[in-house]
Amino acid sequence: MSPPVASRIAARDGFVAHIGRRSLETARALADVRTWSPLLMGQMRRLGVDSVPIALFIAVFTGIVLSLLSSYIFTGAVPLYFVGALVGKTVMMELGPVLTGMALAGRVGASIAAELGTMKVTEQVDALETLAYDRNAYLVVPRVLAATLMFPVVTALAMGVGITSGWITAVNLLDLSTPEFFKGLKLFYQFKDIWFGLLKSASFGAAVALMGCLRGLDAKSGAQGVGQSTTRAVVLGCEAILVLDAFWALVLL
Amino acid sequence: MKRTNEFAVGLAVLLALTVVVAGALWLSETDLNKQQVTAQARFRTVGGLGVGAPVTLRGVKVGRVEAIRLVANEWVETEFSLDRVVELPPKPAVISASASLFGEWSANIISYDPPPTDPNLREALAESDQVGGDAWPGATLPDIGQLTAQASRIAGDVGVVTQRISQAFDSTALKNMQQSVKDLAEISGRLVEFAGAQTTRIDRVSRNVATTSDAFAGVAQTFQGAVARLDTATSDNQLKDILNNGRASSADLRQAAGDLRSVMTAARENQASLIRVVQQADSLMTKIQRGNGTLGMLASDSTLYRETTATVIQFRELLTDIKANPKKYLKISVF
Repeated sequence: MSPPVASRIAARDGFVAHIGRRSLETARALADVRTWSPLLMGQMRRLGVDSVPIALFIAVFTGIVLSLLSSYIFTGAVPLYFVGALVGKTVMMELGPVLTGMALAGRVGASIAAELGTMKVTEQVDALETLAYDRNAYLVVPRVLAATLMFPVVTALAMGVGITSGWITAVNLLDLSTPEFFKGLKLFYQFKDIWFGLLKSASFGAAVALMGCLRGLDAKSGAQGVGQSTTRAVVLGCEAILVLDAFWALVLL
Repeated sequence: MKRTNEFAVGLAVLLALTVVVAGALWLSETDLNKQQVTAQARFRTVGGLGVGAPVTLRGVKVGRVEAIRLVANEWVETEFSLDRVVELPPKPAVISASASLFGEWSANIISYDPPPTDPNLREALAESDQVGGDAWPGATLPDIGQLTAQASRIAGDVGVVTQRISQAFDSTALKNMQQSVKDLAEISGRLVEFAGAQTTRIDRVSRNVATTSDAFAGVAQTFQGAVARLDTATSDNQLKDILNNGRASSADLRQAAGDLRSVMTAARENQASLIRVVQQADSLMTKIQRGNGTLGMLASDSTLYRETTATVIQFRELLTDIKANPKKYLKISVF
């Protein structure tokens, strides 16, 4: 094995071990409720509520595209009321959580990484530790918890808006009536469709926030290092979303 | 700022909860007003039937499948929610069947009294019904996949047969077949010649047939006229009169037959007396012939005849003598 490959594998092993160590520290910091609880609501507002517009914007166009695309695929082969089934299933189980997670990975993951990276390179994190604050309890836990709790909320709203936009598109742009669309929507519906998507989005939130915190707290070399950490946080967040998506599909479907 | 955060987060959470809960209730058609009743059906297999599939009665959706579970003795029990206002058959049964070619299945409620005509369905329902309990009997129709598999097997069999036929038709068989075709062509030529020779006769036969057909047409016309006359007679009530007269004659005949029967009964009674009289007369005649008794003696002995004749002669002589000499025989005195 050549030295560069070996060092790359060793570095990857080190990265995995780093993630494991940070995760354990975060879990331990959960016990320090007095430190993170006052900060939780603010993070929920910032990471969750403030992300609703971008999530809904994506959901609207997702519903429109799904409706038109499924109509294009089904015409002449499958009854058109299956547009409702496809829009409902896809938005609830896959595109709602994943696209919302991707969008929030860009917005939330980058925001967290940039904020914590800046704090790291300006030694604010060291100052917190000097003041006897657990940096995980103060910086990581509120963000991870807020993202874990608020991603399903945002995703639920995105699901509703995505299906509604798909319905409006089907009724106005396709040769499909409202009862037909709803017939297709209810045709294969199971409650699992909803909780499956919400569970996935909660895991996406935790992963995106954790990656943002990890990359942010590992930032080095000033502003350039902060930029690199932000970029890597977004990339890792998106990768984590796709990996978790496949994992939940394997486990729960 | 803190209160603003709490309000915004609370509003987002409430909105999301509303979307999730309301959407789930609406999509699952959950009955909040308890306007639905539940029922169970028992199947050997439910095919492609799944939770949420529609339940129909005479093609109208009246409920949905709520649960499907495996139960003892290799049965599958299915639970339905049905509209409370729906009037179900007195003895319902459930048929699980594919509703379309696209994977939709539905549970169709039918009446088990009378059972369906299809023998497989009837057998499956009877087996399910024998278990008893509250669950309705259920049966499943084969889905399009099974039918396609069956068609595939048939296509495979046809392929095998085709292959065997192609193997059977080797070059020798092909030559034989070509020779047969040539022979057939030759036979066809001869048949054409024969048909040409027979054309005149066939024409004659055809003319005869045409003549016969005309005769039949005349008969048919005559018959049609007779029918028309009969129809006219019927319309003038003549036929009715004839029928009435016939009915009266029949009654008279029945009366005469009754009288004749009475006469015959009396004759039969008199016959016995007559036989007795004849027998007695025969016996009497036999005695007379034998000369028994007075009449027999009279018939067989002439002495009496002679004596009677002599007596009559003497009686005449006496009368003559009395006429001649009345005083000799009559003496009248007064005092």
